[in-house]
Amino acid sequence: MPTLSIEPLGQAIEVRSGQTILDACLRAGIWLPHACGHGLCGTCKVDVLEGEVSLGDASAFALMDFERDEGKALACTCTLLGDVTIEADIDEDPDAQLIPVSDFIGTVTAVEDLTHDVKGITLALPPPGMHFQPGQYVNLEIPGVTGPRPFSIANAPGEGDKVWLQVRRVPDGAATGWLHTELRPGQQLRLSGPYGQFFVRKSRGGPLLFLAGGTGVSSPRSMILDLIEEGYDQPITLIHGVRTQADLYGQQEFAELAARHANFRYVPALSQEPDGSAWAGERGFVHDVAQRLFGGGFAGLTAYLCGPPPMIEACLRTLMQGRLFEKHIFTERFLTAQDGAAKRSPVFRKV
Amino acid sequence: MSARKLGLKQRYALMTRGLDWETTYQPMEEVYPYDRFEGIKIRDWSEWEDPFRLTMDSYWKFQAEKERKLYAVLDSFAQSNGQTGISDPRYINAIKLFITGVSPLEYQAHRGFAFTGRHLRGVGPRVAAQMQSLDELRHAQTQIHTISHYNKFFNGMAEWPHMHDRVWYLSVPKSFFDDARTAGPFEFMIAIGFAFEYVLTNLLFVPFMSGAAYNGDLATVTFGFSAQSDESRHMTLGIEVIKFLLEQHPDNLPIVQKWVDKWFWRGHRVLGLVAMMMDYMLPKKVMSWKEAWEIYFTEAGGALFQDLARYGLRPPKYADVATAEAEHISHQNWCTFYQYTHAAAFHTWLPTAQEMDWLSEKYPNTFDKYYRPRYEMWAQMEKDGHRFYNMALPQLCTTCQIPMVYTEPGDPTTIAFRQSMYKNERYHFCSDGCKDIFDAEPEKFAQSWLPVHQIFQGNCGGATVPDVLDWYKLKVGEDNLDFGQSPDRKTWDEWQASKSRLAG
Repeated sequence: MPTLSIEPLGQAIEVRSGQTILDACLRAGIWLPHACGHGLCGTCKVDVLEGEVSLGDASAFALMDFERDEGKALACTCTLLGDVTIEADIDEDPDAQLIPVSDFIGTVTAVEDLTHDVKGITLALPPPGMHFQPGQYVNLEIPGVTGPRPFSIANAPGEGDKVWLQVRRVPDGAATGWLHTELRPGQQLRLSGPYGQFFVRKSRGGPLLFLAGGTGVSSPRSMILDLIEEGYDQPITLIHGVRTQADLYGQQEFAELAARHANFRYVPALSQEPDGSAWAGERGFVHDVAQRLFGGGFAGLTAYLCGPPPMIEACLRTLMQGRLFEKHIFTERFLTAQDGAAKRSPVFRKV
Repeated sequence: MSARKLGLKQRYALMTRGLDWETTYQPMEEVYPYDRFEGIKIRDWSEWEDPFRLTMDSYWKFQAEKERKLYAVLDSFAQSNGQTGISDPRYINAIKLFITGVSPLEYQAHRGFAFTGRHLRGVGPRVAAQMQSLDELRHAQTQIHTISHYNKFFNGMAEWPHMHDRVWYLSVPKSFFDDARTAGPFEFMIAIGFAFEYVLTNLLFVPFMSGAAYNGDLATVTFGFSAQSDESRHMTLGIEVIKFLLEQHPDNLPIVQKWVDKWFWRGHRVLGLVAMMMDYMLPKKVMSWKEAWEIYFTEAGGALFQDLARYGLRPPKYADVATAEAEHISHQNWCTFYQYTHAAAFHTWLPTAQEMDWLSEKYPNTFDKYYRPRYEMWAQMEKDGHRFYNMALPQLCTTCQIPMVYTEPGDPTTIAFRQSMYKNERYHFCSDGCKDIFDAEPEKFAQSWLPVHQIFQGNCGGATVPDVLDWYKLKVGEDNLDFGQSPDRKTWDEWQASKSRLAG
């Protein structure tokens, strides 16, 4: 498969034959400006810096002859004829480290039960290990399963000699099923990384809000450990939502961290805990708990969201109606082919 | 490591910085007198993200190239007598509707964006609005030039500026834009920049341009492509403006919601003309209006309003009513024009048996039940020598200015009537949507120039139909009446006869 490099991100992605640049980028979580999606409007114009492309069915008015001569292309119709580098109208991010992706063979050193359906998996990496930004993820290859699966790295980047992954067993899921039933310490798995644009924008400063659902807490764990280790002194809040007490994990570690660091607040929240149980903590969905804790006003924060799509959507609505907008909200989405096909409007770029 | 290149956004910011300044001889409030009365609160204009990032220098370069391409196509279309290659001469009536009803709106948009570009305080939106203003002027000109070729051979197009200002049904699109242009700059941006250019634009342009493509009108297809290539900027501007207003201040949400509700409904009413064009006036059909509504409003608009719900904005009020009306609106409009064919500047006809079968297939819930019997009755009347003309002047809706022909939601056999009292006068409306719009600003809509009222008041050339048509500059027997007996039809038949003589 040809490789597409995208400037100014410096990121490279694999593109299937016949797949358009726009489709490949959106599926890889890279937002490019676009509107009509079929070569008529010209919103998705990019510069082809290197390599051969087919311009596809771009309108002669949306992509003029002189622009073709100058190496412009419309991402929504353009396909690759080989490895290609483009420059697109993407905001540069001062906090992005642009770490190249590498391939690794990891050795399983521990498999532990975090809850009844979540396992913690530790993979030791050969020296020099993996350099990554907290919040990024790896693609893990699973024997007998076609295509790698993404998992967020839950450990802090100081521990780059390993990756710790939190894997919930998806009902009838082949990949997570294998990891839950077949994986043993000592086995070796191929993985590549780090991937993703989900990392802490430290240069902004200010108070931080992490909203996590289920195993979506893995990225925030890495981010928060890293922030605390380097002495970030602004308020940090983590709200971790799960269904019941039986689904909650990591609370001892986070509670201890909160006890030691006055600027870190940890709020586990249960959405389906039976009435009358011994649970004295917060009840309700993550967005409802956030609404209560912040009195419905979120201006001035930077928020990081990680979890299942309905939780993300509910949190986005709560945050935006509480005056925190796209510029200050970051989310991780693992786009599958199915998600990419879902109809979205061009109102939001990243969230 | 070599120095990294600046991103496009940074390059643009560096190139354009300092283009704006705070005035010192005059207070800013007096330089920008219109950007506060609507109640919109802007905390920081610099938060505006300029979606265009285009310098004037490259703007001219792009537009000049587009013009060269378009006029090359128009020249070759004229030289090869492209007008003889269209699918069917009835198609030209869609073009007549376009030049009299739509192209003048491009000019209105040009003026509206010029006003907005003058009166918004932020430099980003001001530049964007000015560029869009130039685009709209270009669209008006290229459309006039393209259609001028058809005007050499067919009737009904020569007096389009007069007609747009005077003819009863053209007051529907005209008053829509008059309303937007007499609003403040923020309402104009939501009305035209967002609601029209973003939410509804595909329902206007795709039907006309695909209709042209399906019916052999290469000239119109080409100006369509040429205009659509500017749309990227217009659509992005529409999106940016609504995000900007909603993010700047919580007090803006109810105001923006009210405008979204109003301009969605007004747009829906104007688009009824397009609905009729798609279902009845295109000899080769692209898709039905109902299908177009499902694709471009229900699906695309659904995704849009689902995203905007994050800000607390709800889908436009009466969107459900408009969707239900997609089953009826084209039929009710065409029936109206059939009855008033003597006062229309394009030709009408009864759908053929084959066309009625297509309508039955596309409108299984409504066509056979409510509309086919009416056409069959009129066909019989024509056959008997009693072609039906409605000689009474219709009552008009004060808001949309459409004759009161639409039916009650859920009851397609009862005409919908709504009314409001304002300063002891009674005003009439076709729908709850139009009544709500009036009730929110009665002092504005009480001043509407309603064509039928104006005729009765003696302001339209005289008291008889011929007087009024003369004042419209509408040539009786040439521009109006059924297609079957029209000079257009005769011209076309002569072309066909000469073609077959040449071939024979």
